[in-house]
Amino acid sequence: MSSTTAARSTEVTVELRVNGRTYPARLDSTTTLLDALRDELHLTGTKKGCDQGACGACTVLRDGKRIVSCLTLAAQCDGSEITTIEGLADDGVPHPVQEAFVRHDALQCGYCTAGQVMSAVALLREGRAHTDDEIREFMSGNLCRCAAYPNIVAAIREVADS
Amino acid sequence: MTTTLTKQSLLGRPIDRIDGRRKVAGAAPYPSDFDLPGQAHAALVSSTIANGRITRIDRSAAEAAPGVLLVLTRDNAPAVADPPMSNLGSTMRWYFRDDRILHYGQHIGIVVAGTRAQAQAAARLVEVEYAAEEPVLDLDDPRATIEENPYGLDSSRGDAAAALDAADVTVDSTYTIGAEINSPMGLFTTVASWQGGRLVVHDTTQFPSMVRASLAAMFGVPERDVRVLIPFLGGGFGAGLRLWSHTVLTTMAARELDRPVKLVLTRPQMFSSTGHRAASRQRMRLGATQDGRLVAIDHDAVAANGIGDMLPAPIEMGTPMAYACDNVATHERRAHLNIAFTGFMRAPGSVELHFALESALDELAGKLGIDPVELRLRNYAEVHPESGKPWSSKALRECLTVGADRFGWSGRDPSPRSTRDGDLLVGQGMAEASFDFYAQPCTVRLSVDRGGNALVRTGATDIGTGTYTITAQLTADLLGIEVDQVRVELGDTDLPPAPQSGGSGLAGALGAAVKDAAAALGERLARLDGRPGETIASLLDRHGLDELSATGHSDLPAAAATTDLAVAGPFAATFAEVGVDEELGVVRVRRLVSVIDGGRLYNEKTARSQIIGGTVMGIGAALLEEAAYDPHTGRVANGTFGDYLMAVNADVPDLDITFVGGPDAFNPVGTKGLGEIGIVAVAPAIANAVHHATGRRIRDLPITLDKLL
Amino acid sequence: MTRTGIEYLRAKDQDSAVALVAEDPDAAFLAGGTTELDLALKDRVVHPSRFVDIGRLPLRGVTRDGDRLRVAALTTMEELAADPTVRARLPLVREALLLGASTQLRNMATIGGNLLQRTRCRYFRDPDVAACNKREPGSGCAAIEGVARMHAILGAGPSCIALHASDLCVPLVALDAVVELLDADGPRRVPLTDFYLTPGDRPDVETVLRHGELLTHVEIPLLPAGTRSAYIKVRDRTSYEFGLTTAGAAVQVDDGTITMARVGLGGVGTVPWRSWEAERVLVGSPANERTFAAAAQAAIRDPFTVPGTEFKVELAKRTIVRILRTVTS
Repeated sequence: MSSTTAARSTEVTVELRVNGRTYPARLDSTTTLLDALRDELHLTGTKKGCDQGACGACTVLRDGKRIVSCLTLAAQCDGSEITTIEGLADDGVPHPVQEAFVRHDALQCGYCTAGQVMSAVALLREGRAHTDDEIREFMSGNLCRCAAYPNIVAAIREVADS
Repeated sequence: MTTTLTKQSLLGRPIDRIDGRRKVAGAAPYPSDFDLPGQAHAALVSSTIANGRITRIDRSAAEAAPGVLLVLTRDNAPAVADPPMSNLGSTMRWYFRDDRILHYGQHIGIVVAGTRAQAQAAARLVEVEYAAEEPVLDLDDPRATIEENPYGLDSSRGDAAAALDAADVTVDSTYTIGAEINSPMGLFTTVASWQGGRLVVHDTTQFPSMVRASLAAMFGVPERDVRVLIPFLGGGFGAGLRLWSHTVLTTMAARELDRPVKLVLTRPQMFSSTGHRAASRQRMRLGATQDGRLVAIDHDAVAANGIGDMLPAPIEMGTPMAYACDNVATHERRAHLNIAFTGFMRAPGSVELHFALESALDELAGKLGIDPVELRLRNYAEVHPESGKPWSSKALRECLTVGADRFGWSGRDPSPRSTRDGDLLVGQGMAEASFDFYAQPCTVRLSVDRGGNALVRTGATDIGTGTYTITAQLTADLLGIEVDQVRVELGDTDLPPAPQSGGSGLAGALGAAVKDAAAALGERLARLDGRPGETIASLLDRHGLDELSATGHSDLPAAAATTDLAVAGPFAATFAEVGVDEELGVVRVRRLVSVIDGGRLYNEKTARSQIIGGTVMGIGAALLEEAAYDPHTGRVANGTFGDYLMAVNADVPDLDITFVGGPDAFNPVGTKGLGEIGIVAVAPAIANAVHHATGRRIRDLPITLDKLL
Repeated sequence: MTRTGIEYLRAKDQDSAVALVAEDPDAAFLAGGTTELDLALKDRVVHPSRFVDIGRLPLRGVTRDGDRLRVAALTTMEELAADPTVRARLPLVREALLLGASTQLRNMATIGGNLLQRTRCRYFRDPDVAACNKREPGSGCAAIEGVARMHAILGAGPSCIALHASDLCVPLVALDAVVELLDADGPRRVPLTDFYLTPGDRPDVETVLRHGELLTHVEIPLLPAGTRSAYIKVRDRTSYEFGLTTAGAAVQVDDGTITMARVGLGGVGTVPWRSWEAERVLVGSPANERTFAAAAQAAIRDPFTVPGTEFKVELAKRTIVRILRTVTS
């Protein structure tokens, strides 16, 4: 890309790779990944809780690492592999973390749940589920006002131990 | 219906919530997930002063901005009628009726554009000029309008003043609680669409029938022409029990434009326009005999309220029923301030009362040298202290004794500052709680089909408490079928009328209505000459029927008015252990035991989750949560999730939650509400534990470290 | 001020990144985005005309050069915390990193961005607040008479009490880290302790960084063998919150006498605070409570407090005593 003083574009063309599919899109340059997922790709499982990186409801995986999609531009993700809650199941079979969340009632209203699940999946990959205290600390970036926290810890513990 | 006899009851079983799979897949639709064809997007214009008048609004720049379809302010908005009162009092104050600014963040306009970004950009272009006045923000501000006895609940039995004078030992303490914000995770959303003359609204509410009645009245259409949809809510904690002006503005914009309009509040807007627990101050005076018999309780409370607002969230309501005490007086006031309209927040009034009362009892126990559990048992209200009627259920004694046992209370050295763990001072405290019975009438429609499946339909909402699940569980239990054979439809005002999910009242009313419907259905099935062991499916099949339906109804308030029982709500006892780093003032909860009398449980798993949720919110209330108003502008100065602190996962220690007691004798299913009781005793238990640890009595919530330095 | 849009450009290399920002006075570098996007798109208190995305430049990774660690600016917080040398030789840096933000944010936020983060002051971060000298020089400071619990007491004054809330910078200033900057005139090196500017009468000027200058690396001297170090963070919430007071310290004690001391403070300063005063008291003194108290006293000399921040004077002193006790016990 090059800079031109005349007629600067405030749009971007991006190729979003989400859950193994490629979505070409022409977006306003300030479109966040969260808004692109929800508004353009209609993947509404990822939720907006604060839109300022302070609640974790919009957590997705970018190239396997958990991030908040509200403080990420879609343009920054051009070419990255994004995984959302819709892409977690394997050929229709829920991810073990999803199963464990249901079994342990690790959710109530369910609004933060997609972010919690994505964060938990990443936490397990990070190898941070050795103790309950470790899980608590490294799940603290995901607020849950219903406060399913103890059940979230139990669900993660079960998957970690299995 | 013989199958029910051969099966073990499903009621109480800890089955997985039936909507769990959809939620963990991100497939449960919340209002913000709905997009309608042709939809436009809205953004709000909010006031930047807290008190004064609007002198001029210039819409021209906003109207000229790219993509803008409509800018509505009080200058060009059509008139609407006032909404009717609901069973929870005033539903809202319509701001546009005059030019007054009553609080910071008051909605003064709505901008609609093709995209959300365009609407938000244009909203910043609306120019507003004010004649500003200094806001009235403090409970003690002499300019505040004070309303005495606003709910008519001030009460007096015996002679509290004389009994206080004559008491062996007295406590006279004042307790304050800062404003708290409900802060459900779901951003409140309205998607409004006028289809012909009919209004369809996806709206974040715990009280769809109220939203329907309000919008119908305000926009002058029959209630049957308004449909409110809310299958999944994203939490409420009371914030969804009122109608907020953004819903009206969005509906109005959709009508003006004749196209669907969607508005999603921002998180900062959630702090200034969807209610909160009002700041309060209480003076609690207790008198007792030397052997620990309460002879007097004098409770004086004042809480904040918006200007021109009336919200029935009394603090004094539960005081006369709490203990067996002959002399009780209560007085309450509301101070009307330039703060955003308050709302109902989990156990409204009860949280405030119990922080004061249970802290004061701890102070009394210390003065008397009587164990705090023993002091409560000595003043146990065996019967309703006002009416003398027997309780419909009350296992509070078990809550106290089982809790003390599970916690290991008997090993506690009662002296403050007596226990250390390394550098930490360790303290143990307890409190008890009750939550008043509440219910509203409820109607359900129950159908069974030839496939043996049942369908339950009612206009209630599931705010995350598990309404879908317990409805299915109860229905399956009553019909003798499996839970997965029951489909439950909620969150639609076209369904039979149901009350709000609030006041811990829905589950009891809904369960009673389901039971009534099942009985009616049972009668109809009985008339079909069922054979022993015959299933519903075979019965219908044999008679060539596709389905059978029945309507069930409950009116628990009417029944409560005529029963010989004192209708009880749930009870609880909470025991907390804290560690205090005295040098740095840091308090952390180390473990917590709560024992709950919730009557008969629908589902032990979702019931436990309700108590966990209340408990954790209680930890936040005790140690973290307070909305801070800028003293000059009335702006919520910490109105973001980065600044307003709610408990995170790491704040929550091991929780030990136990249920005691049997079925309630009043409720047809035997249940009591569980949504609120879990929070009520937590803050006083923690405050009492902090006192036990440090010898410092903190009477001001939240107990932040600066108060302990 | 409202822009209708922001241009997004992805830089090909360092030099073109610098040129693309330098040519437009309103252009801004975009790295992890956790600060810049929050300020520009959400709070809307900065108004860039152009984002120059440097996120994919090869400025990532940690290299060891003798007794110094060179951290490329786009290394994320999580990556630096996981670095083996940081684990072994700079435990206080690792602790400060992992006590900050959340894992999600640490996966995004870069080290360069952390150093250049802006204050969390909610008066600065709300464009509807008119009086903010940091946003509009000369407009006043609404925070001073407002809700100031999270604000600064050192380096603060009547013009501004906004806190620099970084955890990472606290050990970095204590360790004499150096930042490497690049612009069209070439690279330059600035000690981190000289990099930040206290508000004085220009709270809007926060660092010596020039417009268009790119922070490319941070160089952190490793602690000599035998040094004890730690970082502590005092806050209301157990996790995921900025600190009320924090402290990082590294000391060497020889036969009961402190021979080397480095003390950094957080939660108290308008800039990441190096406490030379505390270090002067400590070096040559016995490692005991009396010394620690004297160091704390010296560190929090002449605080600028307002209603709401007074408690930090005592809390900061106690935090200093605690960290010194921790690293000498």
